[in-house]
Amino acid sequence: MQLALFWIFAAFTLAFGLGVVFFRSPVSSAMSLVMSFIGLAALFVTLDAFFIGVVQVLVYAGAVMVLFLFIIMLLDLRADQRRPVKLSAWAGAGIVVGGFLAILSQVVSSLPALQQTKPALANPAVNDVAQVGFALFRNFNLPFQVIGVLLLVSTIGVVVLSRRELK
Amino acid sequence: MSFPVEFCVLSLGILMLLVDSFFPSIDKRTLAHTAIVWLAVFLAATFFLQPSPLWASPNGFYETDALGLFFKRFALVSTILTLVLAIEYAPVVERFIPGSRPGAGLGEFFTLPIFTCAGLMWMASAADFVMIFCALELVTISFYIQVAFMRRNMASLEAGTKYLILGALSTGFLVYGITWIFGMTGQTGLRGISTVLGMVPQASQTALLFGIGLILVSLGFKVAAAPFQFWVPDVYQGAPTPVTAFLSVASKAAGFVVLMRVVDAFLVAPALQAKLVPALGFLAGLTLVYGNLAALPQTNMKRLLAYSSIAHAGYLLVGVASVGSPAAGRAIVFYLLAYLLMTFLAFLVLIPVSKAAGGDDISDFNGLGRRAPGMAFAMLIAMLSLAGLPFTVGFLGKFFIFEAAMRQQHFVLVVLGVVTVACGFYYYLKVVRAMYWQPAPEDAPPVLVSPLTRFTAAFLVTLILVLGVYPKPILDFLP
Repeated sequence: MQLALFWIFAAFTLAFGLGVVFFRSPVSSAMSLVMSFIGLAALFVTLDAFFIGVVQVLVYAGAVMVLFLFIIMLLDLRADQRRPVKLSAWAGAGIVVGGFLAILSQVVSSLPALQQTKPALANPAVNDVAQVGFALFRNFNLPFQVIGVLLLVSTIGVVVLSRRELK
Repeated sequence: MSFPVEFCVLSLGILMLLVDSFFPSIDKRTLAHTAIVWLAVFLAATFFLQPSPLWASPNGFYETDALGLFFKRFALVSTILTLVLAIEYAPVVERFIPGSRPGAGLGEFFTLPIFTCAGLMWMASAADFVMIFCALELVTISFYIQVAFMRRNMASLEAGTKYLILGALSTGFLVYGITWIFGMTGQTGLRGISTVLGMVPQASQTALLFGIGLILVSLGFKVAAAPFQFWVPDVYQGAPTPVTAFLSVASKAAGFVVLMRVVDAFLVAPALQAKLVPALGFLAGLTLVYGNLAALPQTNMKRLLAYSSIAHAGYLLVGVASVGSPAAGRAIVFYLLAYLLMTFLAFLVLIPVSKAAGGDDISDFNGLGRRAPGMAFAMLIAMLSLAGLPFTVGFLGKFFIFEAAMRQQHFVLVVLGVVTVACGFYYYLKVVRAMYWQPAPEDAPPVLVSPLTRFTAAFLVTLILVLGVYPKPILDFLP
């Protein structure tokens, strides 16, 4: 049952991921990204990571993507112009992607651990909010603070790069 | 006794931001000068730090060993030099920022390198993939902003966008590689990984190698190694010149520290060593050949320095490929130090010259030997040292690297290295020829140099020459 769900949602996520790249209208791309995030959230839920699944829906699919759509509509972006197909670019991309997939499939097939299904978690509550908070603020305190600095720097960046007139 | 230098630097950055916003009438250059003084104080303070393993984290995120400590000082010195460059470059930045009054936006331009410095120092001490990732992202994101800082300049914006897209791609590779390694070993700490490496079953070796390969690709982006160097020429040319210097020295050095730590952690397994060393050797050879050959036809000074930065990454990678030799670590560190001195010196001369000429082509250096003899002499020393002429640090740096490579029997790499050094003489001496053998244009404006820049240039020239003849004090001091 769980395995079947995994495959369904994995295919769902990937299909909409391709949609993000290949749709020409920005709105369709953004909506595909929302669907892709929802598929990802479902995958987290099948792994018993309920909190991360919920956050994925609330923050990414909800808040971030709504903002994306707002901006796309406010700026009134047109559909991407159809550009002439560059053969060399496609060939280069094909070689890189093909090579990467070939290596990846070889790696995956060489792993015995991936052929077996692991048993479900004995205590699914282990991934709840309290545990995540505990890990974040205690064990991973230093990296967490570095991320805080990173957010400060990106805030400065947004102001510097987007404000109409700097003071 | 240890104290967190990073947090001191961070507080300085936040304080500067506050002063900048609450006292808008203050001269921004005063702010930068104050920051330089404080960074120098922190630099002096690091000499009272004892190397102590695994400070402040039960999980081993952070390590103040001799190598980490050395690179903290390296980050501080390069930030100080960047601020000196930035003060000199400020009028150009001002012209390309939409501001409501003169000096708008300069406060942020002087503050961002300080946050980058904190990130670089965390990177130097990171002993865990989680920490490596967070610190690396802090550094990279602050660089995206700095590269695109001159908003009204198309080249700067384009460079920022290119750097953002390729940087995001390389981050993706890094995270994916870390995931595979975590999946195979169950560890993110470098020390933890090397202890369990012996217990990883044979069947998982391929997957482990795949993870390491992805991390190598990502770090290859950061240190500008071929074939991951596409972004370098455009980004270096478009970015504001002080940022270019900072990017090519500090970001590359931090990338190499992480690379050395990661490679060290995986070398304990002989099976991995047999795969990893040839891969590094291949990258090194490719980077050497590409960087040096592509630099030959360049006519723009910043582009020339970009390709030269790729070439220098090649020599450094030769050092990384020889890590089995005990001398290799010291050779890499010495090379990076030499690279810092000569690259910053070259950019220090480039800024006033290009400000006077309004562009940064090599032909703008025509007749500099007569127009500004002092600056021309500084550039001469920088170029000779970058090329690797004896009696400069550049020569000794290459010498130590090749010595380590010989000990590890990497003869092909040494031959490639020597041939490409000869290649380097051609393009570095092109600049020297322009300065001393080409006549200056009739209407050449005078090159104005501030006393601070003059003093810094003299200091760097002295260090390059003295350490090139008598490197013993610094060698004793290196980890």
